[in-house]
Amino acid sequence: MATTTEIDAASSHQTTEQAVGATVAGFAWSYAITSLLSALLVVVKETFKWAHDLLVAVTGHHWTAHGVVVILLFVILGFVLTQTSMAKTASAGQIIGLVVGSTIVSGLIIGGYFVI
Amino acid sequence: MPYSSEFILLLHPALGVLAIMASIWTFVELLNAKSQNLVRMRLASVTSAILMWATYIVAGYWYVTLYAADKALIKAGPWPLAHGLFMETKEHVFFMVLLLATLLPIATFSDVLGRRGVRHLAMWIAALVVLTGLAMEGSGAIISMGAKLALLAKTA
Repeated sequence: MATTTEIDAASSHQTTEQAVGATVAGFAWSYAITSLLSALLVVVKETFKWAHDLLVAVTGHHWTAHGVVVILLFVILGFVLTQTSMAKTASAGQIIGLVVGSTIVSGLIIGGYFVI
Repeated sequence: MPYSSEFILLLHPALGVLAIMASIWTFVELLNAKSQNLVRMRLASVTSAILMWATYIVAGYWYVTLYAADKALIKAGPWPLAHGLFMETKEHVFFMVLLLATLLPIATFSDVLGRRGVRHLAMWIAALVVLTGLAMEGSGAIISMGAKLALLAKTA
């Protein structure tokens, strides 16, 4: 029969193995948030002319400005979220679900808007 | 240079499909991840990211400077959805593909050998790059067909 120490060691090993590490988790979280915000930005800029014109004013083309926003947000959020305790303890299952889920939801928001 | 815009247009899906292939390569290396193929795995993931960024730059240049004429043509032709749905979706979903391709080497340069979870995550990211990248390629084909049908309608 396993001792308490052996059970704790096995549990710790399993936890360590399932954790992904702060850097990967931080940037994965950043990807999830950025992709969703990007999808929402598509809806906003296509619905409200002032939003579209604002992006045009920034770089001369709405899509270029959209890209700059997305890339900057991903990088900055990534470095910020890497420092959080949430990133340090995130499990693989959580992060995989987050990345896959945000990809699907963001894609549906964007595609769904233009279908409608 | 004659037909330079067509060359630029053809270059972007070529770079994109090479990025997809590099992501498949990364996925296969991850399936058999060990110390002997770690360098090759990471090289494959970086290659995918670099090629996807190259796709973004080339495609972005063409879209911003040269697409307007094609857009007007497609919207006036028999397949306006080629722009209204497929191009509009493609140009915005691509940002997700770009970020996924950027996330891939971040995952492979983590403890991919020591942590099974990191390896699984990297495999999922590589798979998403492939699936969304292929969606981009297919959308591009539909958009090209929209332009072709519009031109054929003009000559009919």
